[in-house]
This record gives sequence, structure tokens and C-alpha cells, in this order.
Amino acid sequence: MQEILQYTWGALVSFVVAFTVGITYMGLNRKITARVQNRIGPPWYQNFFDVLKLGSKETSIHHGVMQHMGPAFIMVTAVMSLLIIPILNDNRFFPNLNFHGDLVFLLYIMVFGPLGMALGAGQTGNPNSAIGVTRGLSQMVGFEIPWVMALVALMIQYKTTSIVDLMNLQAETGRWLMFTSPFAFLAAVLAMLGMFRYAPFDIVGAPQELASGPMSENGGKYLFVMMSAGSVFAFAKLTLYVDLFMGGANNLIILVVKTFILYLIPMLYGIVSPRYRTEQAIRYFWGWPSLFGLLAILQAVFL
Amino acid sequence: MMINDKNSQKIVDIIQNYARKHSLWILAYGTGCGAIEIPPTMTSRYDAERLGVRGAATPRQADVLLITGYLTTKTLKRVIRVYEQMQDPKYVIGFGSCTINGGMYWDSYNTIKALDRYLPVDVFINGCMPRPEAVLAGFAKLQELIQAGKADGARKYKENLEWYRANQKKVIPNWRMPEYNW
Amino acid sequence: MNMIYIVFIVLLGGALLTFFANRISGLLRDTFFLLTILATTVLFFTKIHIGDTVSFTLAGLNLKWGLDAFGWYFSLIVLGLGTMAAFYALSYMKGKDRLGYFYFSFLISILSMLGILMSHDLVSFFIFWEVMTWSSYLIVIYSGRNVQKNGINYILLSALGAYAMLTAIVMVYANIHTLSISEMINTYPQFSHVQQVWLPVLFLMAFSVKAAMMPLHVWAPGAYSDAPMAYTSVFSGALSKMGIYGMVIVFVSMISYLPDDTLFKETFAWLGAITAILGTLWAIAQDDARKLLAYSSIAQLGYIITGVAVGTDLAMLSALFLAALHALFKGTLFMAVGAIERQTGTVKFTEVTGLIRKMPWTFIASLLAIIALAGIPPLGGFVGKWMLYESLINSNHYILVIAIFFASTAAFLYCYKFLFGFFLGQEEKEWENVKEAPALMVLPMLILAAGTLVLGTFPGILLKPADAAMQTLGYASTEGHLWSMSILFNEWGDQVLLRPLVYAIAGTFLFFLIILTVKGWKNTRYVSTKDISSSGEVPLEYENLTFSVNFYQPFLRAVGPVMKKRMIYYYREFGSGMEALFDYSRRIYNGNGQTYAIYVMIFLVIILLFKNSIFG
Repeated sequence: MQEILQYTWGALVSFVVAFTVGITYMGLNRKITARVQNRIGPPWYQNFFDVLKLGSKETSIHHGVMQHMGPAFIMVTAVMSLLIIPILNDNRFFPNLNFHGDLVFLLYIMVFGPLGMALGAGQTGNPNSAIGVTRGLSQMVGFEIPWVMALVALMIQYKTTSIVDLMNLQAETGRWLMFTSPFAFLAAVLAMLGMFRYAPFDIVGAPQELASGPMSENGGKYLFVMMSAGSVFAFAKLTLYVDLFMGGANNLIILVVKTFILYLIPMLYGIVSPRYRTEQAIRYFWGWPSLFGLLAILQAVFL
Repeated sequence: MMINDKNSQKIVDIIQNYARKHSLWILAYGTGCGAIEIPPTMTSRYDAERLGVRGAATPRQADVLLITGYLTTKTLKRVIRVYEQMQDPKYVIGFGSCTINGGMYWDSYNTIKALDRYLPVDVFINGCMPRPEAVLAGFAKLQELIQAGKADGARKYKENLEWYRANQKKVIPNWRMPEYNW
Repeated sequence: MNMIYIVFIVLLGGALLTFFANRISGLLRDTFFLLTILATTVLFFTKIHIGDTVSFTLAGLNLKWGLDAFGWYFSLIVLGLGTMAAFYALSYMKGKDRLGYFYFSFLISILSMLGILMSHDLVSFFIFWEVMTWSSYLIVIYSGRNVQKNGINYILLSALGAYAMLTAIVMVYANIHTLSISEMINTYPQFSHVQQVWLPVLFLMAFSVKAAMMPLHVWAPGAYSDAPMAYTSVFSGALSKMGIYGMVIVFVSMISYLPDDTLFKETFAWLGAITAILGTLWAIAQDDARKLLAYSSIAQLGYIITGVAVGTDLAMLSALFLAALHALFKGTLFMAVGAIERQTGTVKFTEVTGLIRKMPWTFIASLLAIIALAGIPPLGGFVGKWMLYESLINSNHYILVIAIFFASTAAFLYCYKFLFGFFLGQEEKEWENVKEAPALMVLPMLILAAGTLVLGTFPGILLKPADAAMQTLGYASTEGHLWSMSILFNEWGDQVLLRPLVYAIAGTFLFFLIILTVKGWKNTRYVSTKDISSSGEVPLEYENLTFSVNFYQPFLRAVGPVMKKRMIYYYREFGSGMEALFDYSRRIYNGNGQTYAIYVMIFLVIILLFKNSIFG
């Protein structure tokens, strides 16, 4: 009983933290984008207003059961990855469900939500949604390759498939994996560009072209859950990167600093980029990022 | 909300209205010449995003419907459809003299003269065309109304649906729309 | 009399009875058919025990039949899927003609598969193998469509495989003068090196044809999609597993003894991976659901072949697990396609859309099967894939794991296409009156789909017989040391860590579902799929806005270079090349007496010239 309570409590706290930090990052993204474009931009807490507003919408429509469940799918994915990814090095405050071999599990659980949401988007009958989904899935096949290569390189080099083991290893040696396996880090970061779907890989939900693609029929509470899930998921992914490559974090402040530095990469890359077509994006991911992934594997095998 | 107590409901309303006020996602229905005033309003010169105003991609996600100028009867049909697809609470901003009294199209055979006979308009911005400053002022006015809880066009529309429908059907000859089922 | 005979007699007699009962009445025929398959299943699982054998002499040959744990594991697939497909077939085939013929072939192919699994000597193995080929061929050409093309493709490649196997059997007999499989395996290390290499190559050729491995897969898309769906689920789910069954035996008992076995294993592992990748890419390009599933079957068998070829305990375990799981979900999916074909009359994604509200149970079954196929937790497919990845990484196949991962990620594309194409999208007036398929069709689907769900949560159910099967093959008991080797076997098979995970998934899911519906259904209202935000325009009744043509065009453009040429093209080129050669050689006979005289002269001259070397 005690254990269950502890689990629930930890899950709740980490969820709240992830939600707050994730939403703040989204707001900061808008602010920084605005500053780059020589605007004043919204305040950094703007996205809290947006989420609150979406949550307090009085009506919302759905086109059937799958669309109704779609946002819940993506939320499950976000929460699950948050539960499995260790948040801090010393994980006493955030007890979570990580276990050995969780890297492979994460790879799959992270596509569970997008697929569920894709089903929801499909049921709307809006052609824009379906087009967006096909683009999103195609792009996913693109960036998963360098990402998996990076992870496999780590698994080979350190002979473990557990995130906690990798974190302990970094804590013991005091050297971050981004320095000991730089190619894996490069490949993973380039894959992250696709994961975050900022420009130049934002053709999936291009507002001008596809009317925001998969989300085009979701309003009100559905959009609320999706937006919060998106921010939680973003934080979870960033934490995973920090855990894997940047030595984890000993307390929340360090975690926030590290994740924010990491978050700047897709954000700043996005601000100055135009947009790729889907096949260009796929070929991009199978070009340099995969080459780095290959180098990472070679490094892991021969060094 | 499950809170039925009147005072706590009031507090919830204030918080919700505060959030709504600061997060206006606009669907700029680019009719007429007013559409050209939207880009300067949104971009670096006037930067409406600092008020929380942001473009939405589809009516499902939008809060504010901007009618930027004259409406032909043909477009009116689409605008009604878009308005009805938006989720409550929703607001309409009429843009320029054309939406108020027809403006320079006052005697045109195929434009509507007064928008609020067909849709519940919360804020009118006059001018031909209104400059971005005026548009920002309009947004500010709408925010005031939302905070005060007076921007209830959607409720009005729901209550007086028959009157609005009659007016709409009067000007739209080939009325072929799915029945409105709130 | 031994129970093994009785099972075969029941199957054969039932098949004949069904065939002749067709002349009397349809009800009688259906009853016989169902009774036969049920009686077989019940008898098999209650009366026949692992280790039972019978032997008899026929025409001077010692034939031996029996059941071991490995065969039992595969007969679980055959009979489990066979029974479900039989129930399904009753409803699916209703109203079609030549049903006696269909049911007869169906039962005979079940019989032949059981025969293969129970054969302990090469002659009966070969005979049952041929019976399996012919009975399935009869069903492939049952519909009468494309017999020239698909039927001939199938029978030609099967014959190629059968000749290869026959050659191998003759080789064995010439060497050791016995046809017992165990004898062959025992004496294999004493064969000469050339024979040691040729024997597995010839056997594997035969098995690869049935398992539809690149480059011998060309028959599969046509044959899978031309057979009635009630049989295709068995065809793809169980019959193709016979190839895997043979492959496992060859790999374990022969190739492991070869000095250069790694070359063999690597080649086959890579062939499996290439099969998986190309099968997946071609599946993505299909607009016909049957073809899509056929290519997907090829791809899934590619994973299994890779697992078998890598051959470590974990890899073999994952291959066996995936083999059973593939039968479950691919059986379900082919059945779902059959249901849709029956209810709407088409299987094209470009024609039929929005069936989710009309055929909800079919949708649920397909959804579960698709999740299992894609390998997404918490369904069974994930466990198998996880084991496969882990075994590949542990056995240092790093590039292979990327290839397999690519194939399984790209599989999401066709998975989504399948669900979207049939069930989602706009609801059309044309399909307004489509009803859910009859219960007899829906129930087998749901049962099989529930199987994948159960195996995802309790993989131990299947891992134990698989483990027993592997011990028959000479593997050490995986249960003990796999617990330390792969954490997942411990945590998932043993239900230690899975529970909080499953609870967490279910809990969060429900929580957010409740959040979405907390204000009641009043405020989240249902609108029809015509009510979409399409720039204020109202789509008319007959206007279908569903996006289904050129579905993955951008992706296919990106992978275009790989898909330029198809294997069948090379076969055709080879065929026309041979034709040209024979056409050329035909000119020898030009009908001119003087030419023939010259031939005779030349022949004599040659003999005179070389008489010393010829006649010595």
C-alpha cells in the first residue's frame, strides 16, 4: 500500500514538474522566436493562459470514439515515458518505473501515442488530418533510424540497455557520454530535430498548408489534453537526452538548465530554417545523421 | 465544473475569463480589403502576439472570428458555417465600415450591409480600413468585455437562433447546410 | 490402434465424407467439416502425448511417425489457427460454389501439415510436403482468378523447392541407406564436406520457398491474395510456418556442425532482414488490402528467419514466439479483410472507407492485431520484437538490428494504412448499409486478437512450450539462464514488473479519458464526418474527401530507388532469356536434308578426330 501511494505521489509530482517546465519552454520558445523576429512577443507564461483557456472551453466536438480517445493515447505515452525516464540521478523524490532494458521499451512506447493520435485524426474524416498523419509517420521512419543507431551504439559501448546503468556509469567516471561517444550524441541530437517537429521538419502540422494537419479537428478540451501532453512529452524527451548524454542531474535546477540548453538546439535551428518537404526530410535523416550513427556504432565496436 | 456554490463559481469565472482574455486565437477570415491589415498587425511593427493574439489554423481551435471587410452573400454562407464550427466561448470582431453599415458597398446588390443581423458581433472596429492601431484597440476592447463577462455573443446567437436563421436564409438563396445541432 | 493413426484417419475420412456429403446437402457437409476439425483438435491435444511414436513398413521402407515437443509447438499453431479458420470459413464461404472441393482441400492441407510435424522419416516428410503444396495449390486456384499467373508462379516455385528437397533426400539415401531423419542428423558430421554444404542448401531452398524468403517469395503476394481469405489466414499463419519448422531443424542440426557455419548464418540472417525491409516497403505501396497483408506476411517471416538464422537461444526463442504470434495476428487480419470483402464486396483502400461505426467488432479485432503486428507494448508483438533486438545486440549483429528496426518502424506506415483505409476516414453514402459480419466470422477474429493481448501480458504461457520445443532441439533449458540473460524474460514472463506498468498505462489512459468526458457527453458532442472544417464549405453527400489515393507518396518517393526493380522482373528476364536460347537452338532443325547431312559429316569428323581419346 505504502509503495503504491509512493508511486502515485512520485508520478503526480513528476507530472506537475514536467507540465510546468514543458509549458514554460513552449512559452519561452515563442518569446525567443519573437525576439529573433524583432518583436516583443508574448510573455513567457503565455502558454499557461492558452492551456487554461483551452481547458475552460465549454464545448468540443468529436467524430467518433477513436478521436475521443486520441488525446488520451498521446497523454498515456507522455506519462509513461515520464515514469520510465529517471528524472534525477538520485531518484528518491521521483520514484518511477524504470527497469533494465527500458531503452527498447521506450523506443516503442514513444510511438504508441502518435499512432493512437493518428487513428483519432484519421477518424475525423478531414483530409488534411490524414495527409498530416502520413507525413508525420513517414518523417518518423526517417528520424528513428539515426536515433536507434545512437541508442544501439550506446548499448554496445556500455553493454547495457538500461538508462539507470548509463547514468550511474557517468556518475562514476564523471565523464558525460556526449564526450565519450560524440557521434552517438550528434546523431541523437539531429534526430531530436525531427522529434520536436520544429522547422525545418514542421510540414506535418503546417498551419498554412495543412490547417495544422492531424490536430485540425481537435478543439477545446481535446486540444487542451494534446497540448499538455505535448509539453510533458517534450520535457520527458529532453530529460532522456540529459540522462543519456549529459550525466543526468542532481537536482531540479540543474535539470532545468541542462534541458533548456538542449532545448535551444531544435528551437534555434527551427527559427532560422525554412521547411523541408517530407521526402527531403527523410533523405536528410538518412544522410548525415545516419552517417554519424554509423560512425557511433563503429566507434562503439572498435574502440 | 462541479462547484455549484455561487461565489466559488464567480472566482472560477474570473480566472477563466482572465485566461480567455489573454489567449485570443483568431481565425482571420480574409474577406475584402481588411485582410491586408492583419499581417502588419501580427508582425514586428505592431506585434499583436504580445496581447496573446495568435492565429489559429482551423475554426475548431479558434476563439475569435475576424470578419475583415465586406461580405458577399456567397461568402456569408461560408462564414456562418465557420462560425458554427467554432467552440464556445467564441467571439466575432467586425472589421471596417463594411461590416457596420455596408460602407462603400452600401448599395451593392450582393453584399450584406449590417453583419450583426446574421452573426452576433462582439466588437466592431470602424474605419475604412482600420489601421493596425485601431485593430489592436479592438482587441483590447474585446479583452475588456471578456473580463467583464459581457462578450456573450455565442449565447445570444444560441438564444436568438431563429431570428438569425431567418435573416440568413433571407439573403442566402440556396441554403444547403447541415442542421445546426447544438 | 495407435492414436496417431486415428487422428490421420479421422482427418482423411472427414475430408472424404465432407467432399461426398456436398452432393447430399450443405448442412451435412458443414457438420462433417466442423466435426472433423474439432474431433482432430480434441483428439490431438488430449490423446496424443509428446513422445508417442508409431512405425510401420511400407513397400520396404521403414516409416516412422511421432510427436516431439518441437512438433507439438507448431501443431499448436496449425490446429489452433485451423480450428478458428474453420469456424470462420463456414460463414465466409456460405453461398459460394464448389464448397466440397474447398473443404476437402482445407482438411487435407491441415492433415498434411500435421503429417509434416509428425514425420520422423524423409519419405513421409516429402510426401506430406507435396500433399501440402498441392492441397494449397487447389485452393489458390479455387477462385479461378489469375490461375495462369499466380497459380503457376506458386506451383513452379514449390516444384523447384520440392525437387531440391528430393535431390537432398536421394543424396542422404545414397550415403547412409536409411531415410530416418534422426539417423541423417546423427550421421551428418561424417558426410563429406561437399555434401555437408549441399544438403542444407538444398533443404533450405525447399523451406525458403514455403517461408517466402527473398528471392523465392515471388509466388506469395499473388497466392495469398487469390485464395479465399478463410484459407489465407491458415496459409499465411500456419502453412508458411512449415518452412520455418524445417529451417529451424536444418539450422540447428546441420549448419551448426559446419566449419564455416557463420557464413551460412550471416547470409540467411541478412536475407531475412532484406526480406523484411523489402516486404515492408512493398506492403506500404499496396492499395489492395490482401496484397498489403501478403507483403506484410513476407516481411514478418523475414524477422523470424533472421531470428532462426542467428540461432542463439534468445534469438531462437524469439523466432518461435514470433512464429506463433504471427499466426495469431495475421490470421486475424486476413479474416478481417475477408469480413470486409464479404460485407462490402471490395478490398481496395481507395474504394471503401469509414466502416468503424458499421463494423465495430471487426475494427477492434483488427486494431488489436495491428498493435501486435507493429510491436507496440503492451501487446504480444512487443515481447517477441524485444527478444529479437536483444538477441541481435547480444550476438553482435549491430547493423542487422538497425535493418530489422527500420523494417519494423516502417511497418507502422502500412499498419496505419490498413486501419485508416478501411475503418477511418469519411463515412460514405455508398457504404451506409454495410452491416457487421456474422457472429461466426467475428468471434474467431476476436478470440485470436484476444490471444495477442493475453500473450503480451503473460508471455510465459507461450514461452514455456517454446522452451520445451527448444530443449528437444538440443538447446539448454532457456528458463534458467535466460532469466539472467534477458531481464524481460524474468520481469515479463514472471509478472514481477509488468503489473505496475500495465496498471500505470491503464490508469493514466482512463484518467485522461475521464477528463475528456468529465462534463458529460452533453458538451462533447458527436458530429458526422461531413462536418469538418473545410474552409467553410459543406461537403455534399456524394463528395468524398477521404484521402486514400497515393497514400504514402512522399515516403515512396524517398525510398523510390530501392523499389525500382522487382524480383519477378528478374525471373521474367531469366525466363525470356531461356526462351530465346531455346528458340535459337531450335534452328538446328531447319528441315533441310543437306543440313542434316552436314551434321552427320561433322559428327563423324569429330569422332574420327577424337577417337583415341574417346575409345581409348
